[in-house]
Amino acid sequence: MSAAGKGDLTDAKKSKGNKLTETEAIERAKQGDAEAFETLYTLHKRRVYSLCLRMTANTAAAEDLTQEAFLQLFRKIGTFRGESAFSTWLHRMAVNVVLMQLRKKGLSVVPLEETIETEEETPRKELGAADAKLAGSVDRLQLQRAIDALPPGYKSIFVLHDVEGYEHNEIAEMVGCSIGNSKSQLHKARLKLRELIKTAKAQKASNR
Amino acid sequence: MTCTEFERALADIIDDESCRTVEHHQHIETCSSCESLVNDLNAISEEARFLEREAEPSARVWNSIEMALRQEGLIRGRRRVFTIFEQKRHWWRAAWLVPVAATLLVIFGVRYELTAPKEASKNISLAANDVTSDDDQQLLQTVQRRSPAMLASYEDNLRNVNSYIRDAEESAKSNPNDEEAQRILMNAYEQKAMVYEMAVDRSLP
Ligand SMILES: [Zn+2]
Repeated sequence: MSAAGKGDLTDAKKSKGNKLTETEAIERAKQGDAEAFETLYTLHKRRVYSLCLRMTANTAAAEDLTQEAFLQLFRKIGTFRGESAFSTWLHRMAVNVVLMQLRKKGLSVVPLEETIETEEETPRKELGAADAKLAGSVDRLQLQRAIDALPPGYKSIFVLHDVEGYEHNEIAEMVGCSIGNSKSQLHKARLKLRELIKTAKAQKASNR
Repeated sequence: MTCTEFERALADIIDDESCRTVEHHQHIETCSSCESLVNDLNAISEEARFLEREAEPSARVWNSIEMALRQEGLIRGRRRVFTIFEQKRHWWRAAWLVPVAATLLVIFGVRYELTAPKEASKNISLAANDVTSDDDQQLLQTVQRRSPAMLASYEDNLRNVNSYIRDAEESAKSNPNDEEAQRILMNAYEQKAMVYEMAVDRSLP
């Protein structure tokens, strides 16, 4: 499972040698130890916050969501068994909190099912030979800006798959759509990103 | 195979090369437009994997979480009452706490190891803004009823801790990115919670 694999990239593994390991912290948090809660928070805050920030593109909203995700997790920590899946468990919870909030705000988290093929022809618009190629020159800042500009439905699926590393079957379950829909909307999200980055590049070039 | 046919199949074959047929491969090799489309989409997907995960939430987030955990009784046991004195740079701000804490210790023989009962701690509210909020009044009434001799001392303590909280809030507001200021504020809240906790302990029949 790739999402669990990505969990290894959190700060959890870096904690060795520090005062509390994650496993110890989980056990002590169950006993109500303040330091243990803080340790767990410190280990995972960046990854959870980054996810929330990417999904909302708004720091205040992202902080509220981060707070809510950790609170939900800590309230249920007594029911947590087994250490290996902790970051997966936490991250899933964060995703659910974010999706729930987006739904509450009336933002669609599920992209519309295949519409009539009107937009299929649009990616063909060429912006001139000089800008035709992106490959190898997608810089991170441009990509981040383009992701921020994606409509919410596309954004959630792109972030979950390409940034967070979830598989289509996991996304389908979390977001509540079919696997096929997840696949096709991911593709559309990438096409949209390509278009956004190309436009940004063309604008930058014409401003020179 | 036309470009339209190729593009229509792309959603299924872009991430899974094993699904590509000979025709797909041939089209990519002969059509530079579709070739660059595939390369671009791959580049976007690749780059997304390396987006920074290092954004850091402000100290406000943990402070709010900790406060909620305490109020809900998920954090149990003794408070870190004197952590404020570990902060060397700002020790003077808390200097008034020394006599206050000493007085409290003498008067009540504080039972640090005891936790306030859940039912009682639910009612504890960290009223920060008012000199004497409704909660403070309620607390003072309880003290008056159960141990009237302590009333003056509690009034003093609440006044002091409330003014301390006001100072800390101002400092935190004017330095929103200063973690130190946030911690001071958190400590100020803790001090007040301690006063409440002791009153509750004290007031138990
Ligand atoms: Zn073609």
